[in-house]
Amino acid sequence: MSSSDSSSSSSASASDDPNPKLKPQPLESQFQSSVTLDGSDEASVSASVAEQRQQQGEDSGNGSIGGVVNVENNGHRDGSHREEIIALGVTADEDGGVVWRRANSEVEAPASPSSSGYAGERGSSGASSSSGAGEGSEEDEIEEVGNDDGDADGALDSQAEWTPGKRHVDEDDASMSWRKRKKHFFILSNSGKPIYSRYGDEHKLAGFSATLQAIISFVENGGDRVKYVKAGMHQVVFLVKGPIYLVCISCIEEPYESLVGHLELLYGQMILILTKSLNRCFEKNPKFDMTPLLGGTDVVFSALIHSFSWNPAAFLHAYTCLPLPYATRQAVAAVLQDVADSGVLFAILMCKHRVVSLVGAQKASLHPDDMLLLGNFVMSSESFRTSESFSPICLPRYNPMAFLHAYVHYFDADTYLILLTTRPDAFYHLKDCRIRLETVLLKSNVLSEVQRSMVDGGMRVEDLSVDLPQHTGSTSRADDKALERTRESALVGLGGPAGLWHFLYRSVYLDQYVSSEFSSPISTHRQQKRLYRAYQKLYVSMHNKGVGPHKTQFRRDENYVLLCWVTPDFELYAAFDPLADKALAIKTCNKVCQWVKDVENEIFLLGASPFSW
Amino acid sequence: MAATGNKNINAKLVLLGDPGAGKSSLVLRFVKGQFVEFQESTIGAAFFSQTLAVNDATVKFEIWDTAGQERYHSLAPMYYRGAAAAIIVYDITNQASFDRAKKWVQELQAQGNPNMVMALAGNKADLLDDRKVAAEEAQVYAQENGLFFMETSAKTATNVNDIFYEIAKRLPRVQPAQNPSGMVLTDRPAERAASATCCS
Repeated sequence: MSSSDSSSSSSASASDDPNPKLKPQPLESQFQSSVTLDGSDEASVSASVAEQRQQQGEDSGNGSIGGVVNVENNGHRDGSHREEIIALGVTADEDGGVVWRRANSEVEAPASPSSSGYAGERGSSGASSSSGAGEGSEEDEIEEVGNDDGDADGALDSQAEWTPGKRHVDEDDASMSWRKRKKHFFILSNSGKPIYSRYGDEHKLAGFSATLQAIISFVENGGDRVKYVKAGMHQVVFLVKGPIYLVCISCIEEPYESLVGHLELLYGQMILILTKSLNRCFEKNPKFDMTPLLGGTDVVFSALIHSFSWNPAAFLHAYTCLPLPYATRQAVAAVLQDVADSGVLFAILMCKHRVVSLVGAQKASLHPDDMLLLGNFVMSSESFRTSESFSPICLPRYNPMAFLHAYVHYFDADTYLILLTTRPDAFYHLKDCRIRLETVLLKSNVLSEVQRSMVDGGMRVEDLSVDLPQHTGSTSRADDKALERTRESALVGLGGPAGLWHFLYRSVYLDQYVSSEFSSPISTHRQQKRLYRAYQKLYVSMHNKGVGPHKTQFRRDENYVLLCWVTPDFELYAAFDPLADKALAIKTCNKVCQWVKDVENEIFLLGASPFSW
Repeated sequence: MAATGNKNINAKLVLLGDPGAGKSSLVLRFVKGQFVEFQESTIGAAFFSQTLAVNDATVKFEIWDTAGQERYHSLAPMYYRGAAAAIIVYDITNQASFDRAKKWVQELQAQGNPNMVMALAGNKADLLDDRKVAAEEAQVYAQENGLFFMETSAKTATNVNDIFYEIAKRLPRVQPAQNPSGMVLTDRPAERAASATCCS
């Protein structure tokens, strides 16, 4: 499998970088001060670990069901976040019945008040047996898919052009094709009624939804919460939001944290459409069928799920700007500010998923996740393109209970304006604002500049100046060799200096990120998706609270060298050729940071109100 | 504005009806002369304007194409209040959409402007083989309720311009001093917003 060499340095003091915003401390010093393991020794160690892991995977894959359920203990008193790992042995009988066995009952901490909950739950045989019966069919399926390696829709994955809208409506949980889908998303109510399914007709999936509900309530009855279930290749991740249950079943290797993040965004998208007052419907009638309320929004959800495989905003929790000359962006901001001053809460000019400029009323700030959801909602709904529209929307991070009213107008195929107001009768005012705005934008040629920037694209790793310092004493032979290769590769257009293929840079204070254009080594859709997942995994590993605050990470596998550098001001994620030289890669990262600083006027929206709460 | 001769009339027009009945298709055919087979659901409400010349006047329609989805029903009053005309659209191949259209008529009779010109449009008239709602039935219903009725097809453009033209002709010529910009969306204050949730 993969031999990975990874080293990470964790240092608690942030004072390493006294003024990193202006002058980032060179990354190599961080590596020097940290314990780095490099070379073949390390590689062999990790290889054996990887082997072990693989073996484990196989064990659980072909055993009937060797699952690990991670349960969060709600009853714990000291407030600290505590997780218990409870191994559940689930054995399927021939007749499909399933027996749940708790193998590890001693993890019930004696002090925990909920320990009695476990025991009590076992007593309520009615609930557990009924959920167990439903369980059988569900787990059987996962096993089948596991045996198939879940690789069936590889063809679908490789297609570069993504068609919006729901696909495979004709499928249900009995269809083989449905079972082989790599990543399922479900939204259901706590009474087990299906609300949304990524694949297949929700109504035909009623039985399956009931099964998911049974699993969740089975654990809930014990005063606990099920976080995820691992079954062979599959990970089943649960998220409970009041009366709404969200479930992701994935056989793609993605961290639990990422999948929960996806479910959180999916929930946010639903709140954006309906507000949290949908909970009241369930208070009035627990058996409430929510599907009619979401009528016509399949495209919105499927576009969001699609963005989980390409849009870094989905895991970075930051937005990105269209590169524009500073003066141009300032000019747009000035016009938008006029609009905002006339009683508009937020005025946003976007080009696809990129922000051209945005302005908020005093003290109002927009969360990057809300921007992602809002942009997705507008872009995925074809109806906004036909004329000017006025629609209620809710910003879940701004106020999940109330609707705002959004005026949406497309200036051209990609560029659109969103004006958000609290006043339902403001349409004609917003329309006037738009007309004025359009006049200014046309006069100042902003719209054509936006179009040009779209065509020109953003930062290219090839443009990173190759004048790497040759006169560093510490590195010698390898350095020169790599430099040679660098020059060659630059000539044939294989990425940037030192084998740099791609980078992501996130400014912590601005809540914005910039991503380089994809260079030729990662030109295909499949390669880009794989890199996206690698970044996502890297992000999780750098933000995992349990492991401690890592500051740098260098990771080599057969696909890439990944380098990550996290400071209080920014986060850099860079991908290199798998054969890239480490010292050179580190130097290149410093170059990238400097480059970003040099052009930050053009790639970021500066002077926007900070987005923190 | 209400002078003799060539009058300019601003008229707010709202389209109501079930999702998929063809409200957006009718408007797009009328305003842009376009038709797409798979029209996506409207979000919230879309605004269009189109000017029509009738014999004695020029009528500028400000058209609100509302979303048929249930979650937007609570917003409908915002659009039909103060409207001079309404087109209630149903799909002739769908009985439920006709029943729903009758409910809209009731609501407009109870809540809407009493002088409102109301039209009933049986859309998708090109799909004769799948017809579920008889033209006679709709005609009788329309007569009983003081609407005028047409079967339309946004796909073939049959009767689309005609229905708007007919509305233009029927609009009261001596208009009450209407706000020229058509500003009146709602006469109730903003409290409406708080209650305008999905299920209220």
